[in-house]
Amino acid sequence: MEKIISLTHVTKKFEVGDGYFTALNDVSLSFNASEFAGFVGPSGSGKTTLLNIIGSLDSPTAGEARVMGKDIAKLSHKDSAQLRNLHIGFIFQVFNLLPVYTVFENVEFALLLQDVGKEERKKAVMDALEWVGLESMANKRPDKLSGGEGQRVAIARAMVKRPKILLADEPTANLDSANAHAILKTMKTLNKELGTTFLFSTHDEKVMAYLNRTISLKDGKVVSDLENINQKVEA
Amino acid sequence: MKLAFTLAYKNLIGAGLRTWLNVGILAFAFILIIFYNGLLDGWNQQARLDTINWEIGYGELRTENYDPLDPFSIQDAHRVYKAEKFPQLTPILIRQATIYPHGRMLSIALKGIPSDQTQLRLPTSYLSTEMDVIPAIIGKRMADGAKLKEGEEVLLRWRDKNGTFDARSITIVKIFDSDVGSIDSGQIWISLEQLQSLTGLKEEATYFVANEEYSHQRLNNWTFVNQEELLQNINEIIASKKISGSIMYLMLLAIALLAIFDTQVLSVFRRQKEIGTYVAMGMTPSQVVVLFTMEGSMYSFLAMLVGGLVGLPIFTYLAMKGISFPDVTQDMGVTMASRIFPVFGIQLILGTMVLVIVSATIVSFLPAKKIAYMNPVEALKGKLQ
Repeated sequence: MEKIISLTHVTKKFEVGDGYFTALNDVSLSFNASEFAGFVGPSGSGKTTLLNIIGSLDSPTAGEARVMGKDIAKLSHKDSAQLRNLHIGFIFQVFNLLPVYTVFENVEFALLLQDVGKEERKKAVMDALEWVGLESMANKRPDKLSGGEGQRVAIARAMVKRPKILLADEPTANLDSANAHAILKTMKTLNKELGTTFLFSTHDEKVMAYLNRTISLKDGKVVSDLENINQKVEA
Repeated sequence: MKLAFTLAYKNLIGAGLRTWLNVGILAFAFILIIFYNGLLDGWNQQARLDTINWEIGYGELRTENYDPLDPFSIQDAHRVYKAEKFPQLTPILIRQATIYPHGRMLSIALKGIPSDQTQLRLPTSYLSTEMDVIPAIIGKRMADGAKLKEGEEVLLRWRDKNGTFDARSITIVKIFDSDVGSIDSGQIWISLEQLQSLTGLKEEATYFVANEEYSHQRLNNWTFVNQEELLQNINEIIASKKISGSIMYLMLLAIALLAIFDTQVLSVFRRQKEIGTYVAMGMTPSQVVVLFTMEGSMYSFLAMLVGGLVGLPIFTYLAMKGISFPDVTQDMGVTMASRIFPVFGIQLILGTMVLVIVSATIVSFLPAKKIAYMNPVEALKGKLQ
């Protein structure tokens, strides 16, 4: 299996007042392509920090984080932006849809950044909206969508560029149970069909039920890393 | 850049009323700057043309000791000339005199000009009228000041070349209406031959007005003042008006720019999550800075569009119909037409466009550059930094 993420003795500290808060403490992990894995643990355990480092939005204070073969700490702004643009998709807890754009334009945005041609862009956006069952809402604005629909648009936006890695930070936190399951099923299907690596940060048991691999964090340390052989839910 | 332009346009249009308020005030400043400068340019052009046509022609050839700003210089400012030698010049002789309209005494400048001249627009053909009394023309301001009417006689007293007083009646044969106050107030025009005869200053003149064919060559005891030097005064008045006017419209522009600056500062803080999302999706901080700067400068483009739509019909109408000014403005001694036709030249419009675009871009860039230092993780959380 192709190893696309490798974290070696990663430590991340934040300045707090006169001292430091250690968000990640000597974390070593690696992920292969097509994994459907998640970081679980209480608030402050370092889940989101780990996703931010993998997503090249942040860099470790110590240790090495390599994503798609690139050392995150050594990337320039431009290189890390290019890494995110080409290979990494993000799904946020509060969706972060751009309010003045329509659903179509929100999804299209990622492809505009890649300078994809108009026709190709249109087809890719409509395909992505079809994956999440929102092709009929292409012209609506985010404020006209329900929470579940908003998160599905966020998935379509993250997936439209067919990234190698998709990072989802508490994607079901603002959704009801039915919507959460629907979204997770969609993600699981895309993981299988497109081979995208999904990494979640969550403390939602519904999400955990879908994961192939669960990494538990506590106080910035990995306390367990389990393959879910008896996975409860399949797509 | 194309992407930034597309996104900036969508963001601005999507922002709705906030955008149109900024655009509205910037468009108003844009229109006002063009209108005010166009008005001054129109005034300038008309004033220059009127001054050339009514007073200075293409320059003045003056006797060496003549100073138009010094009435005491008039007494000795006259010199013999040979009319046949200077067909391109119109001679004018000036003497001091006194008139007695309705029992009052009024000091005036008595000017002699050939009645057959065509260089200046003064209606001098009226001076050739054969009458027992001396025919004279005066301007509207002079007529108003002395309460004189056409056909009215008034006693004129002058001194001849030997200093001897003499007096005769003159008849006002024509009251002309000119925007050029300096050929009107306190002046009476009679035929040159008549004035030379009254004063004994045969074949003498104080100065000449040149036509466009005149090419000056050095002449002893005569000084040539070219057209541009003579128009200097008008240029300076217009320049000072432009400066004082610019304070007003620059303040208005400053308010418009402050509104954009304020919006941009607010955007950088209020749209932190959006900025974080842009970065997470693969935009570099400098691309986001360009996007926000583009948004700000796009206000100026939209303002020009709105300004053009609103201003173009107004400017076209004003340029064709002109703007009338009350007579009182003409009595201030400044050459000013009663109806000014503003001139909206391409240079003025392009210059104003550049001014508005550059200043809007600068005030947009200043807050936007904060984005370059923004931590995307903190931005995604929407935390103030």
